[in-house]
Formats: sequence, C-alpha cells, structure tokens
Amino acid sequence: MPGATLSPWTMSYFAAACLFLIAGESAMVGGYGYPFAAVEAPATLALVHVVAIGWLGLLMTGALLQFVPVLVAAPLRAGRLALPALALLIPGLLLLVGGFTALGGAQGVSTAMLPSGALLLAMGFGLAIIMLAATLLTVRPLPLPARFVAVGLGALIAAVLVGGAFTLVLSGTVTNYAAIALLLKGVPLHAALGLAGWLTFSAIGVSYRLLPMFMLAPDDTRPTNRAVLWTGAAALAIVVAGIVSIAVDSDGMEEAGSVAALLAVFAALLYSADVLRLFRERRRKIVELNIRASYAAFAALFASVVMFALPATRAAAGEGAAALVYLFVFGWLTGLGLAQLYKIVPFLTWLECYGPVLGRTAVPSIQDLVEDKRASLWFFVYYLAVIAATFSLFAECPGAFRVATLAQLCATVGLMVELVRARTLSSVAAPLRLPAGASRPHLFLPISRPQE
Amino acid sequence: MSEPENATTCETIRDALRMIIDPELGRNIVDLGLIYDVSVEDGRIAHVTMTTTTKGCPASVYLKEAVRNCVWYVPGVEYAEVRLTYEPAWTPDMMAG
Repeated sequence: MPGATLSPWTMSYFAAACLFLIAGESAMVGGYGYPFAAVEAPATLALVHVVAIGWLGLLMTGALLQFVPVLVAAPLRAGRLALPALALLIPGLLLLVGGFTALGGAQGVSTAMLPSGALLLAMGFGLAIIMLAATLLTVRPLPLPARFVAVGLGALIAAVLVGGAFTLVLSGTVTNYAAIALLLKGVPLHAALGLAGWLTFSAIGVSYRLLPMFMLAPDDTRPTNRAVLWTGAAALAIVVAGIVSIAVDSDGMEEAGSVAALLAVFAALLYSADVLRLFRERRRKIVELNIRASYAAFAALFASVVMFALPATRAAAGEGAAALVYLFVFGWLTGLGLAQLYKIVPFLTWLECYGPVLGRTAVPSIQDLVEDKRASLWFFVYYLAVIAATFSLFAECPGAFRVATLAQLCATVGLMVELVRARTLSSVAAPLRLPAGASRPHLFLPISRPQE
Repeated sequence: MSEPENATTCETIRDALRMIIDPELGRNIVDLGLIYDVSVEDGRIAHVTMTTTTKGCPASVYLKEAVRNCVWYVPGVEYAEVRLTYEPAWTPDMMAG
C-alpha cells in the first residue's frame, strides 16, 4: 500500500525537540546569550544551536520521516536508520554546545568538542538525508512539495559542511586563510542555509501538501507554487555562491546579498498569496486551531522577510538583525512547528491507538484527544509573547525581553502539557478511551505495532 | 440469491461502514464519498472499492483494514474483498451534503 506506514521514531524526535525548545527558552529567560551577550558571543552561539538543531532540526527531521512518504506516496526507505540518526544528533549537539561554552571560558569542557560534535551531527544528519533522499528518489517525476524538501536537504548538507568548517577553525584544528575568512564572513550565510534553506524550504514543501489536506482545499500545483520554488532556490544558490566566493577570496559576490534578499521577499510574497488562496478556497468551513496558529506563523514569515529586506527596519533590528531573526525563528518556524505538532501528535496517537480497532468498535475522533479552549489560550499567549520579545529587541530593552520570553516559555510549556495529554488520552471520555483491542501509546518511545 | 437481496445486503454494508470515521475529517467514510462501490454476489461475497482523502496517508492501511473487518461483521457476508484505489482521486466534491 503506497506510503501507508507510521514512522516509529518520529515521536521520539518530537519529544527530544520539545525538551531542547524548553531548554533554549529557559536559557533566554535566565539571561543567557543575546541580548545579554553579543550576537557572536559563545553563549549566543550555544543558545542558537540548541534552538536551531535541537528544537527545529530534530522537529523537522522527525516530521519529514513521517511526511516525506506522504509527499511521494511511497514507503520510507532505510527507516531503520532513524534511531541511529537520533542517537548521533543528540550527543553531537551536546558536544557542540559544550564546545561553545568552552570558548566562553567554561571549565570542564574543551573546544575540541566542537569538531567532535560537528562530526556526530554530520553523521546523524547524513543518515537522515540518506533515508529521506532515498525515499524521494523512488518517485519520478517528483511532486512539487517534495522538490521543496529536496532543496531543503541540499541546503542542510551545505549548512552542515560550512558549520563543520567553522568548528575546525574555532577549535584551532585548521588555520588556513580560506577557512578563517569563511568564519569571519560566512556566519550569516550559514544561518541562511539552515534557517531559510533547510528549515523554511522543507516547511513550505510540507505545508503545500498538509494545508490542502487539513482544509480540504484544492491541491493542484499552481504556477505561483513553482515560482516560490525557483525564486527561493535562486536566493539559496546566491547564498551558496557567496560562500564559495569567500572561500576562494573573490569579491564578486559583495552585492549579491541584497539580490538574494529581494528574491526571498518575492518568494515570501508569492507563498503568502498561495496560503491565503488555500484558505479562501477551502471546503472545510471549520478552521481548526492548528490552522489558525499556522496562519499566525505565516504572518510572522511575511513580516520578518519584508522587514529584513528594508534597510531601515533591518538596521533598527539590532546586531545581525537579531530582532528579525528572532521573529523568523520563533514566530515563523517555531510557531508553525508548534501549530503542526498540535495536529500531528494527536493524529499519530489516534492512528497508533485506535487505528487497529477501527471498524470493530466505536472510537473517539482526533479532536477528542485535545482541548482546544486551553490550547488556543496558550497559542494566543505564545504569539503575543513573541511579538513583545521582538519589539523589546528593536527597542534594545533586555528587561522587557526577559519578561516576554518568560511568557513565551509558559505558553510553550502549556502547549507541551497539551501534547502530553493527547499522548496519554487524558481528554478522551472514559468509555471511549481504551476500547477492547486498543493499546495505550507510550509517551515518546516507538509505537508498539510498527507498520512495515 | 436474488438481485433485490444482494441490493439489500449492499445497503446493510453501506450502513455498517458509517461507523468508520476518517480520523482527519471526523466524518464517516460513506458520507465523505470514500466508498466508491459496494457489490455483493450470491448474498454473501462482498466487494468494496474505496479510496482515502490523501494518497500515501498513514491512515490508509487502517481504513482499508477497518472496512474489511466491518464488512465481515455484516450478517450473511462470508467473504469480503476490499480494493483501495486512487483512480479517480478523491475530491471534496464527492462528499455528501
């Protein structure tokens, strides 16, 4: 049967990702990293990687293991690599973070942990890429949403390689000029590859498939969908060319950054138009909470990209346009991630628990696994807090930033509790909770009956 | 077994299948238009052609199995064959009401 499998380790990826998000947000509340330290300070680098790799990277990898088979209607290839990948990624990240703290003068850690961590991360992401790319390669022609993921995986490879080169310089392992120049000039490009390339491209691709599915909107490929792909890919190609030009000490790409930013704005505009059209053309009148929360994330994407392209707002956004990067990471990527988790976790839990007894007995609906009233309050607080934190960074007011991130942390924890309640079937009325033949899902360990 | 009796069994099967909900949409699969065809031979051999809202959806295997189980429980049915197809692909226009 095409693609009809549950990814056994996806929930474990999600659980680890959620823990890293809470750790990252707690660190911000505690005054760790920017704006309490410089953007390039080791503390900021540690924090950024906890969020970018620990939260967003693991979340996206876990989600893709489940949804790439849906995008291509083919089973996941080499799925047995999912656990080894996770087992490499987590210690890899911890070593990387340890290495960053060593750069900041922490005792008991060493900068040698940086390349070691990068190696484990490269191996872990390498295994994930093998699974996902092998699955994508089974289908010709590749559906458009899957092409976004393919570009995203390409950007991931580039981001990992560039990040690995950085760790070699930072640890003193490599001292050649090209590598040092890459570190000095290439950090924004590394961030663009990771956040805009790998994470955003993959998120857009999956959204082109899931939004029509959740809203019953037409899922035919439109010219604007293709334009988003090609425009975004062109922006990424400029980023890659920029990295190459730094490495070979060429000045040819000095002005290309603004071209890439303009292309990114164009892609964001087209994508915004696409998601608005999907909303307008939906056949499902009820707009579920995960969809409402996703559209808040789309607004954050649009706002952050447009403001990044405008010189005045970019200059006002602090060191390295930190306020806009914050809005992009927590408004767009994290907002979308939390919104989709709120749908995907109950969905997978329902399949795991009630799928095997479907047709034999009455079962609850997916909606019965969640409590929208409470969760909508948490999403409201979350986005309000992200907006407040963004403004506090614009206003260079670290005190207000801490208050805002505390509210953001509370909302995040609130949403995590809702996810745990969904996993434990806590909201399901007792008579329907565990019908005969159904088994209670584990909180985050693999499903008890993997479908192969 | 006469044609009217086969038709009656078909209706009974369709009614029974209404207990199966699509997990994503929360509506029963008959009203969603996911059951393309039900036919019965000799009053006891049932053939069901069905689809799912999304090709490759992880729920597909469970829905197909659920339909098979459900049809088996219909009184008189001794054999149930369920075929999953994506030709034609399901569209929201196929929903009842």
